Amino acid sequence: MVEFDNVSVRYSSGVDALNHVSLKINDGDFAFVVGSSGAGKSTLIKLILKEIDATEGTVTVNGFNLRKLKRRKIPNLRRTLGIVFQDFRLIPTMTVYENVAFVLRVIDAPKKYIKSRVPYVISLVGLAHKAKAYPEQLSGGEQQRVALARALVNDPQLIIADEPTGNIDPALSYEIVELLKGINECGTTILMVTHEHDIVRHFGGRIININAGSIAFDETIGGANEAK
Amino acid sequence: MKLSSINYLVGKGISSIWKNKMMSFASFCIMLVSLLMVGLSVLASININKIISGIEGKNEVIVVIKDDTTDEYLKALESGISNINNVDTVTFYSREEAWESMIKNMTQEEQELFQYAEGDNPLPDTYKVSVKDIEKMANTTNRISTLEGVESVQASNEFADVLISVRNIFSVIALAVVIALIIVCLVIISNTTRTSVFARRKEINIMKYVGATNKFIKIPFQIEGTIVGIFAAVAAFILTLFVYKGAFNLFQDNYQILKILGVNSLYSFRDIFIPVGVAYLIAGAVIGFIGTTISTSKYVKV
Repeated sequence: MVEFDNVSVRYSSGVDALNHVSLKINDGDFAFVVGSSGAGKSTLIKLILKEIDATEGTVTVNGFNLRKLKRRKIPNLRRTLGIVFQDFRLIPTMTVYENVAFVLRVIDAPKKYIKSRVPYVISLVGLAHKAKAYPEQLSGGEQQRVALARALVNDPQLIIADEPTGNIDPALSYEIVELLKGINECGTTILMVTHEHDIVRHFGGRIININAGSIAFDETIGGANEAK
Repeated sequence: MKLSSINYLVGKGISSIWKNKMMSFASFCIMLVSLLMVGLSVLASININKIISGIEGKNEVIVVIKDDTTDEYLKALESGISNINNVDTVTFYSREEAWESMIKNMTQEEQELFQYAEGDNPLPDTYKVSVKDIEKMANTTNRISTLEGVESVQASNEFADVLISVRNIFSVIALAVVIALIIVCLVIISNTTRTSVFARRKEINIMKYVGATNKFIKIPFQIEGTIVGIFAAVAAFILTLFVYKGAFNLFQDNYQILKILGVNSLYSFRDIFIPVGVAYLIAGAVIGFIGTTISTSKYVKV
């Protein structure tokens, strides 16, 4: 669960990135966050990851009150999250298997569990045959699926997808969102930041529109695919 | 942390040496040169100290004994001198030995002239006393001179003072040079590893996002730095062996110079190779570890 209670962020440059934002994303939700560049979408994600602190208000993520969370406890928060970036951010010197297994190694998971969980998650995103390949040997869509597998492997409570379709072909973009939808159906909360209105219109669901640091719109709409 | 995680992190540290071989080689070379500079400075310093100690040992105190002293009292006097704290060795030098030595050093004509005077040897019995700590020499000579039967005590206190100053100045310079070299090593090594860490900052960033702790991110770098440090230490040890043996042989060829200086020999490498090897290993590992710890701190902070 993510809760923003009257949150404001003012950068040292004097720019107000968020103004008194209150927002609640419940467990199991799938929410699109849309808005133009500079609207405050990235600031929202940085706050959830505790890369920055709110100037005012309280942010709560998966039970962690981020205002009170000590620096050395940040890894504990991030272990409850899965993150997918626009530019994939895979480790180029590691194979697909190693990139995904790496997350479990970080949290000190048992070797046996890593050996069974990683191939399962890689097969979920349809890349079992590419487990030994390196990121540079994969297409953009495949790399994003590896990033999804990496976000998923730790069975996180919340997956944050920051423009996950920004660097891949439009046809493959739908595939990625379908995958995210599938993960969401299994109970994981998904927060997807995007500026691709076609995708939002197609899938529908909860849409949070941020404009000039404030929430301009927060409604649930029916998607085009649901209408069919 | 589980054993499997430790194995994984150690494996990561070792494999990244190979994966980043150019940076590892650069760190290795810099560490090798740094360790060599420090090592050779320390070895030069301990040998110069030995030479100074040898010269100090040559600075003996001559105790002149009164003419009418009996043999029994001579023995008591010897033990009296030996009992003084700072006294190292006491050697009796009889008036007869002094006479023979003096004659030996004369020309033929002088010897002929003096042989008639043998029955009337004017030289006194003496004790040659060497001291443990040259800094306490004045105090020791004062105490000897108060003993009964002592005519006079001859010691070159001025020379002792010069030696003390030389030793003290040298010690300060040697310490300063070694400390400066160690600091230079740490700065250079942390800068070299910083470049290596900078090259992998994206990887570090990903680790942070997936919930890696600072410790988890740092350990492979620290292992890498420590291993490179140990390799550099082994190479530095082997090079030191050759350099030191060369220098040692050069000094041995000019042994007379050393003898005049009061030094029987420099430390042979065989005598010091264990402490030198251990010191190199510890220094290499510690400098490698601290260097990478400093350099990773900036990028690793979650």
